[in-house]
Amino acid sequence: MSDVPDAVVLEGVSKTYRLGDQPVTALSGVSMRLQRGSYTAVMGPSGSGKSTLMNLVGCLDTPTSGRVVVDGQDVAGLSDRERTRLRGREIGFVFQTFNLMPRLTAAENVALPMVFQGVSAAERELRARQLLDRVGLAERATHRPRELSGGQRQRVAIARALANDPALLLADEPTGNLDSATGRAIMSQFADLHRAGNTVLVVTHERPIAEHADRIVHLLDGEIERVETIDEPRRPQAGDAS
Amino acid sequence: MNFEESLRISVRAIRGHRLRSFLTVLGVAIGVAAVITFVTLGASLQADVLGEVAGDRTPSMAVAAGPADASPGPSGPQQAVFTERDVAEIQALDGVDAVVPSGDVPVAGLAFEGQTLGYNQLTASTPAFFDYRTTAEFSAGGPYAQGAAELVLNEPAADLFEANVSVGDQVAVVRPDGTRVNATVVGLLGASDSPFGGFAIPRVYVPTDPFYETRLESPSTGDQQRVYPTLTVVAEDFQRVGDVREGVLAYLDGESDARRLKPESYEFRAQTAEDVVDQIRSLLDTFTAFVTGIAVISLVVGSIGIANVMLVSVTERTREIGIMKAVGAQNRDVLQLFLVEAVLLGVVGALAGILLGILGAVAATRYAELPLTFPYEWAGIAVLVGLLVGVVAGLYPAWNAARTDPIDALRYE
Repeated sequence: MSDVPDAVVLEGVSKTYRLGDQPVTALSGVSMRLQRGSYTAVMGPSGSGKSTLMNLVGCLDTPTSGRVVVDGQDVAGLSDRERTRLRGREIGFVFQTFNLMPRLTAAENVALPMVFQGVSAAERELRARQLLDRVGLAERATHRPRELSGGQRQRVAIARALANDPALLLADEPTGNLDSATGRAIMSQFADLHRAGNTVLVVTHERPIAEHADRIVHLLDGEIERVETIDEPRRPQAGDAS
Repeated sequence: MNFEESLRISVRAIRGHRLRSFLTVLGVAIGVAAVITFVTLGASLQADVLGEVAGDRTPSMAVAAGPADASPGPSGPQQAVFTERDVAEIQALDGVDAVVPSGDVPVAGLAFEGQTLGYNQLTASTPAFFDYRTTAEFSAGGPYAQGAAELVLNEPAADLFEANVSVGDQVAVVRPDGTRVNATVVGLLGASDSPFGGFAIPRVYVPTDPFYETRLESPSTGDQQRVYPTLTVVAEDFQRVGDVREGVLAYLDGESDARRLKPESYEFRAQTAEDVVDQIRSLLDTFTAFVTGIAVISLVVGSIGIANVMLVSVTERTREIGIMKAVGAQNRDVLQLFLVEAVLLGVVGALAGILLGILGAVAATRYAELPLTFPYEWAGIAVLVGLLVGVVAGLYPAWNAARTDPIDALRYE
């Protein structure tokens, strides 16, 4: 593993916001390592710093102190442009509310991250079809998001997250807006991707969702409370849920 | 992100809000259309008037004496100061082809076939008068002869009488003292007798001999001579107009009778056709600039519409901006996207405005009965303006969109 850097490494990361005159510490001294091919869950109640951690890992934000290293690059040392470029290439986001572009088709949504990386139109189209096929939505490529069910939208979002073959799949409450059966299907999708070698980080406050991971990082009041290793993670097969 | 890509996404965004985009485009289109319509109308009016004034140009100038501070023009106050000696002297100047004196003959009325009409003045001149008039065409007969009791009517003047006036008829001129002089109608002029067209002013033309009776003693010869308020001096060709003008003015300011007959505060003017054309052109330019100014205001209103729509659009799409930034859109990608959208609205508006403006111009010139002269360069200008309006109106909203923080944008409901 020495040639390929870890997907993400956090070293003593702290983040302090200013709320008016009052400094608010969202994270303090958090260190963790997301190795290639690992499957990690971050759990914690609201206000524990989950969102802040996700923004830092996702290169949307920079730490007040400590180091965030994504694919071997220290995020703090990057300009805004370089950070955006790193984010587009190495981080695949999956959001609770899907966050698809409403006026673009499923295939165009999947292709969008490649647009910003300068991939040619022909290559984008080909890869978007392949990715949609991979999440089982090849038939829906030309549909708009509003013509798709919640589960289908989330699968389009997963396909989009994979577009630039990122170092890390970062999922924020990916089943939060779905019924339990659809949620199970989405989690089996992540299990498949993990089996295929992708690095996955799921941020959730639901224990059953977190139990899909190899380990659970528990956050409380901006610090890591404990790291729990799951001996037998839930690994639903793609066919388990309809 | 390349231009083609942002164009595709922008078109999608514009089509996503059909009514709003349509109204925005309409705002710009009306502005551009108004500008084009008014500019075309101005250009057509100018072409028409200048065509009338300078249509059959002769290398001539109108010579008159008027107050020094009065605006130069054919209608300024004039005094009859040019004696027959002056006419003869100017005629002898180098490069002068003809000198046509003219003046008004005050009368009480005209009588024809038992009908007497009140009529206040005849235009007296020499037969050459008709050679150098720019617009009057004889519809029947021809010019009068000097020394004969003959007259020429234009169509509006002939129409004053109930009975049909034709060449060879006798018309009686009633002098202010009530005496009558019979004159034979020798020519009829067509309708378009005025350089401004349409205004049908009745005119009756007579030879200076025997009708013109305004006389003064010539200071140089001491005898009574006819004096005229205006002289039309015709140069031999266009190249000599300037020289002749100098020569005429030099003579008048020197040894002429006119210099001694005119009031001290008056000065001589020799106005060439070019001068009149220039004056009318500058008058019409002012008029066109005024209406175009009003039209430009509507264009400004249209561009404010674009800015407003783009600002609303940015706010509305905050979340989409967040998504794009999360998946790797740079600030300049977002800026480009919104700018392309604004420019697209502006250019589509300008193109629609050109079509609308041409229709408006055709309708307006047809209504005003003017020949259509379309200023083609304005179509290009309109597209550029649309482009500019889009950029200016879209720049702030697009910049606003570009600097949106993705974290806030993704949380935005």
